[in-house]
Amino acid sequence: MSTAAITHEQGHATTDEKVLWQGGKSPFKAGYGKVMMWYFLISDTFTFASLLVTYGALRFAMTDNWPKSAEVFSSIPLPMFEGVHAPLVFVSFMTFLLIVSSYTMVRAVQEGYLMNRKGVIKFLVPTLICGLMFLGCQYLEWTHMMHDGVTATTASEITKVVNFGQLFFIITGFHGLHVFAGTILLTWLIVATANGRFDKVGHYEMVEKIGLYWHFVDLVWVYVFLCFYLL
Amino acid sequence: MSFEAPSEGHLHWNEQEYAEGKASVLKTIIILSVVTVVEVGIALAYDLLVPDNKGKMFIGLFMAVASVVKVWYIMGVFMHLGHETKAFKMTVLMPFLLLIWAIIAFTVEGATWNHYRHLLNVF
Repeated sequence: MSTAAITHEQGHATTDEKVLWQGGKSPFKAGYGKVMMWYFLISDTFTFASLLVTYGALRFAMTDNWPKSAEVFSSIPLPMFEGVHAPLVFVSFMTFLLIVSSYTMVRAVQEGYLMNRKGVIKFLVPTLICGLMFLGCQYLEWTHMMHDGVTATTASEITKVVNFGQLFFIITGFHGLHVFAGTILLTWLIVATANGRFDKVGHYEMVEKIGLYWHFVDLVWVYVFLCFYLL
Repeated sequence: MSFEAPSEGHLHWNEQEYAEGKASVLKTIIILSVVTVVEVGIALAYDLLVPDNKGKMFIGLFMAVASVVKVWYIMGVFMHLGHETKAFKMTVLMPFLLLIWAIIAFTVEGATWNHYRHLLNVF
C-alpha cells in the first residue's frame, strides 16, 4: 500500500499523489459539508439575484411612476405607533435584528471552536429569538401593506404600480421563507447541542455550517433592504 | 442517525485565537452597524431634502459601495471566508463576477425599456 517514500518516475504520479487521488483529503483544507454549504449558498445567491435584478430592470423601466420607498414605508405597523410618521424606522429595526443575530451566531461558532457546549447554546438562543422576531416583524409589515391596499394584484395611491407590490411580496416572501427554514435549523441545532451530539462527534462544525446559512440570510436581507428601501 | 464524517479544517481553537476572534467580530459588527446607520441616514436625508430625484445616480453608487463593504465584512469575517485557502476563496468569489455582469446588463435593459416606453407607449 502507500509508503512514506516519495518516488518520482518519469511521467507517472508519485506515491504521494496516488494517495491523494484515493480521496479523503480536501484540496481546500475544509470539511466536505462546509464546502458544499458554500456552493449551495452561491446557487441560492443567483436565485435571489435573479429576483432582485428583475426588480431593478422593472424599476428602471418605470422610473416616472415608481413610488418613493420612504413614502411607502413611512409608518411603524404597531397599534401604539398609529399615525406616527417614521420613514424607514421599522425596516431599519428589522435590519438590526438580523445584524445582531449574525453577531450572536458567529460568537456561537467561536464557542464551538472551544468545544464549549454551554457557550454555544448561550449564543444560539438569541440568534433564534432575533430570527423569530424578524419573522414577526415581516408579518406585521405584510399585513400593514395589505391593509393599505397593496397586494399582488392591486396598488395603492402611494405605490402607484402593481409591480411594486408583486415584487415586494415575492422577494420578501422568498427571503422570509429562508429565514423560517433557518429558524427550524437553529431549533434543531440548539436541541442537538443540548443533547451533547457534537461533543460525541468531536467538533462543532455543524454550528459553523448552519451559521454560514444564517449569514447568507442576513446578506440577502442587506441587498433586499438596499433595493427596496434605500434605492 | 449520523451525517458526521471525520472533518477537516481548523475546528479547535486555543484561547488566544478565540480572544482574537472575539475582538475581530466585535469590531466587524460595529463597522456594519455604522455603515447601516449611514446608509439609512443618507437615504432619508436624500428623500426629505432633494426635490425630484436629482443626482439619484450618486446615491445609488454610494449605496452599492456601502453594500459591497458590508458583504466584504460579513463574508470575510462572519462567514470566515477570509481565513480559507486562496483556491476556495476563488471558487466562491469568481461566480460573483458573473453576477455583477448580470446586474449591469439588466439595469441597462431596464433603462432601455424605459426609453422604448416613451417611443412605443406599450406599458
